[in-house]
Order: sequence, then C-alpha cells, then structure tokens
Amino acid sequence: MGKRKQRLLRALGRSAEGVLRGLEEAADRPKQLDYFIEVMRAAYVDDCLAERLELSEPRPKVVGIYCVMAPEELVYAAGAIPLRLCGGSHEASCAGDELAPRDACPVVKSALGSTALGAPSLYELCDVVVVPTTCDAKRKMGEELAQHTEVWVLDVPHVKESEGARRQWLEELHGFKRDLERLTGNRIKRRALKEAIAMLGRAQHQARRLYQLRQAPVPVVRGSEAALALHAFAFDRADSWTEAMTRLNDELEERTRHQQPSQGAQRPRLMLAGAPSIFPNWKLPNLIEEMGGALVTDESCVGDRYLYDPVGAVENTMEDMMVALGSRYLMPCTCPSFAPNDDRLFRLRQAVEDFQLDGVLYLVLKGCVIYDFELQRVEKLMRELGLPVLRIETDYNPEDVEQLRTRVEAFIEMIQENTQLEVGA
Amino acid sequence: MRVFAGIDAGSTYLKAALVDDKRQLLGVKTAPTGIDARETAKEVLDALCLQVGVEPMALAAITATGYSRRQIDLAGDNVTEIKAHAAGARWALGADSEVRTLIDVGGQDSKVIVFDDNGAVKNFVMNDKCAAGTGRFLEALARVLDVSVKEIGPMALQSKLPCEINSMCVVFAESEVISLLARRHDPVDIVAGIHVSMAKRIAVMARKAGLSGEVLLTGGGGLNPGLVAAFEDELLCDVHIAEHPQLNGAIGAALLAGRLAAAA
Repeated sequence: MGKRKQRLLRALGRSAEGVLRGLEEAADRPKQLDYFIEVMRAAYVDDCLAERLELSEPRPKVVGIYCVMAPEELVYAAGAIPLRLCGGSHEASCAGDELAPRDACPVVKSALGSTALGAPSLYELCDVVVVPTTCDAKRKMGEELAQHTEVWVLDVPHVKESEGARRQWLEELHGFKRDLERLTGNRIKRRALKEAIAMLGRAQHQARRLYQLRQAPVPVVRGSEAALALHAFAFDRADSWTEAMTRLNDELEERTRHQQPSQGAQRPRLMLAGAPSIFPNWKLPNLIEEMGGALVTDESCVGDRYLYDPVGAVENTMEDMMVALGSRYLMPCTCPSFAPNDDRLFRLRQAVEDFQLDGVLYLVLKGCVIYDFELQRVEKLMRELGLPVLRIETDYNPEDVEQLRTRVEAFIEMIQENTQLEVGA
Repeated sequence: MRVFAGIDAGSTYLKAALVDDKRQLLGVKTAPTGIDARETAKEVLDALCLQVGVEPMALAAITATGYSRRQIDLAGDNVTEIKAHAAGARWALGADSEVRTLIDVGGQDSKVIVFDDNGAVKNFVMNDKCAAGTGRFLEALARVLDVSVKEIGPMALQSKLPCEINSMCVVFAESEVISLLARRHDPVDIVAGIHVSMAKRIAVMARKAGLSGEVLLTGGGGLNPGLVAAFEDELLCDVHIAEHPQLNGAIGAALLAGRLAAAA
C-alpha cells in the first residue's frame, strides 16, 4: 500500500470516526441506529467493507454508482452488488484538488481523490463505475475516472418531459442491462428483475416510512441520525439495510406513541435543502442541531431523493419492468441538472406543509452552480409561503465552521424571535 | 432597581453597557479587547459598575455577544450579534422611525440586518470571510496613508472627486493606494475613494438582504462621517447614526439580559 493512500486512510478514518462518535455520544439516540453507524464505520474508519459485505468466492462483481439515476434493481438482478460513490470527505477532496479545476465542486473532487488513491478501499472494490451525465462536473469527472477504472457513462436526458428523451433513456437502460450481463456473465432474467424490484421496493417503503415518522409534531429522531441511516444504504446490501431500517422505524414508531422527543421540544423545524451533505461531511446537520434547530427533512440525493419513490411495474413483463424502471429513475428526480425543473418547487411546497417547516437552510456547495441558480426560485416560493431561507455556501473544509455557526444560530434565533416577538418588559 | 449588563466582545473592542429595569441606559464603557477577552470583560465591567455606582455582584443578569461571546464566563447567557444588534436598534429608534435596515461595520466583519415593521428580524447577511468591507480595511489603508483612523472620515468629506479603488482585497488595495500616491494623487481623494469602495461593497450585501426603509449605521463605522456620506450616496437613502454606534450590540445584549431575567 502506498504511503499516500495510508495517510489518506488515516485522515479519512479520523474525521469519519469524529462524526460517528458525535452520534454515539447522544445517549438518547435510537438503539437501532447503531447498525448504521457500524456500516459507516466499516466503510470509512475500519476500511473493511469487503469483509462486512461478505463477498464470498467467487466474488460477485461490484458496481460503483454516482448520482441517483442508475437503477440498482438491474445491478442486483445481474447478481452484482451496487455501491454509491459520491464523495463527502474533506481529506479526499484535498487529494482531488490537483485532479480537478479549482471551481469544481467538492463532491467531484472527493470522488476523484478517493479513486486516484484507492481510499477508502471500497473505491478499489468496484469492478466498474457508472457515471450518469447529470451536471457538467459529474460528466467531466467520468472522463477523468476512466484513467483509473472502467467507466460506463449513462446518458441522462436533461429535458425529462419529451417523448424523445424517454425513448432515448430507455435505450440507455437497455445498454446498461447488456453491459451488466457482459460484466457478470449472467443474463438478467425476468424473475430476477422482478425480485430485485420487490426487494428495493421494500427498502423504498421503509425510507418513506422514516420520512412519515419525521412529520410528527414532536421529532423522535435527529436529522443527523436519520441522514446517516439513509446514507448507509450506499454501503450495504439492500435486504440487510431494509431489515435494519424496519427495526429503526419500529423503534421510532414506539417513541411517537409514547411522545418521546429526541431533543427538547419547541425547536424550530428546519429543512436542509440544496446540495447534499454527504458522509462524513456532517458540518451543517451538526450545526443546525447544536444551535437549537430540529432538522426534520431534506431533499438530498443521499436522503429523501435517494429512495423516496417506488417502481411502478404492473405487468411484470421484461419490457414493462424496463419502462417502469426508466420512469422511476428519470421522472421524479428533482436534481437541478434537469430543466425545466418545476417539479422541485412542487416537492418543496409539499414538504413545507407535510413537515410543518419554520425555515429552510439552503446549502450551496462551492462550484455547484445549478443549485445556486435555482435558489432564486426557491426563495421566491418560500417568500410566498412566509418561510425564511438561509443560503450557506461552503465546501468540506472545516475552517469556516465558527463563522457558519454564528449565521446558523442567528437564523434560528430570528425564527424563534419572530414567533414570540418584542424585547423586554 | 435591578441593573442588567451587556458585553459585546468584538474582535477589536470590547464594549459594555448597563441598563435598568425601566430600559434606561445607565452607562457604557469601551476598551481594546486585547488577547484575553475574559479578563478585559471583567475589568471593563468593574470599571463601569464603579462609574455608575452599582456593585458588580448586584447585577441582576449579564448577557454576552460578539465574536468572543462564548469566552465571557461572567455572562449567564450569550446571543448572536444579529439578535443583540436588532434589540439595540429597536431600543435606539422610536416607534415611528422609518429605519428598516441596520448596517453594522465592525472591526472584523460587517453585517446588514433588515427588520419588518414590528422590529422583528426579516433577513440578514454577514461578511465574515475576509477583511473587505470591515473596519480592518479602513485601518490598514489609513496606515498606508499615515493618517489616524479618527482623521480619515472628516478628511474624506473634503474630496471633490474620489479616486477609484477597485481592489476589495486589503492586500491588493494597499498596493493600489501606494501606486495612487506614487502617481501624486491627492491623499484626500484617495481616502474618499477608500470610503466609496467600502460603501459599494456593503451596499451589495444590503441589496442582497432586501434593503428597505432608511438605514441605521452602527459599529465603529458609525463614528466615521466619511462612511456615512458614502453610504448615503451609494444607497440613496438617509443614513442615521445611533447615539452610541459602537455600543449598539452591548446595549442590545443588556436589554436582552433584562428580558431573560424577566422571563425566568
């Protein structure tokens, strides 16, 4: 193992362990959260994901996936294991600095750094990586990754509503299916795909259940905890994850029944919107909770957007399932790489109501122009709905945490103030 | 009579204020923060208590704000600068005031706070990343020109045609000022240019925050008449100055200490 890799592994492990310890220190955390903490620890701290996933001989193929457009159902149906690779590590993004232009976003820099150095090792575990053509940075990242690994580019149309786009997308998925069959040597059979859709359907059902539980007037789980649990899907087998998530949801349901809040009640209910907070970049979820906010929902592609929607296959013929997959992985996605993207505003409006929000924190990761572009529309919508929005532009570097702390704290104070006005006697 | 104290531990100056339970200001005091904000806070507060004639032990409540607020162990509570400034502004302005925007130019950051008609904070924007648009920017450039910070404001008012200073970065602005001097520009015009450049920078923030109504200028920047004039030209509205511009945060914190004590 090269020295650089060793050093990066150590640095990664330290900051990931810091986040996990932070979660473990909360004595009132749900007991069932520990499973997900262990998944993340295996991936980032102990660097032993291969052992944890029990990749027995002959080792199944591992498919690395970026973004949320590649149907994992097809990967499972081909007998391979999917891992989600979008990067959230400051250390890896520093390693990636030299591989990407300065203005590239930290998600891409982190993924490039991790791939180039093979740390964490789960990046090396992948026999192939799938890069959907979402935003410019991801697309160019795909090209750069090809120096290190086999890359399949998935051509995602940027205008969803046209008939041509849908046809082209279906073609892409058929190509993806053929590539998977070639990689694994297994033909994807109707029954296997049907089972994979059902298996992921159960996972999606539990993810939705978690968000429903988070709509309760008294929050029973911290946002940082829920985000970690969802995020662990990236590094776990879907069926094991679903079992653990079912247990977590059962526990949370129990808490709801007994009105056991996870943090002091009366906290302002906040949404973390905009660019994703990817593990171990827990900067904003932690700040929100430390400064007295209740993080009740998000629209992140490692959170809500990751697993919310189910696949609507009816006939279960191969073609019907492929069409249903194509529809599921294109239509409901509200990533700002699509235009027009009015669906996103619709979903946000819905979230304000469903989660009884008091305010929105909007994360702009440095270099992510498209989320910043849509901020104007989101601000306009929230003005209409009477909700304040705080834009926070940052990357994975912890150097600005204290400045951000003041801003987040003042934002939360402002919301509290506006509900109970007037100074003094 | 119950007395409440507010301490605003800024990056450059530490400010303290005492108010009574009728929300009357009893006294204020300012001193350089120095390296030990905790110790400075104690000294300033003791001196202020002596001046006003109350026992430090008899203070009903103390609230801290400002950059070093968490280090002030004397204080029973701390609030962000935004909250403290909003409270201070509400107190300083009458009910019929047209002011809806507060601009605070501090030593290390600058901020814009926009209120609604009830005085509640509607939005705020802070510059906390670099020295552009902060007191430090003025200080550093005054040093290059070899004039004191107190002099630069009145000096700027004498200019007929301010020089253009384009660099927002202090380091580059310094070399820009040096080259203007080398080209024999009148220091008065250079100083005025520095103020205009600062006002422009902060005006961008103010518009982003949703500038409305008239403006109240606080912080050390409020002591500078050149900056007030530059803001009026840039924002095209009346700019008011609080009676104690530098103490707005400390007064706000003292009032909030009173409110907290009342709520407890």
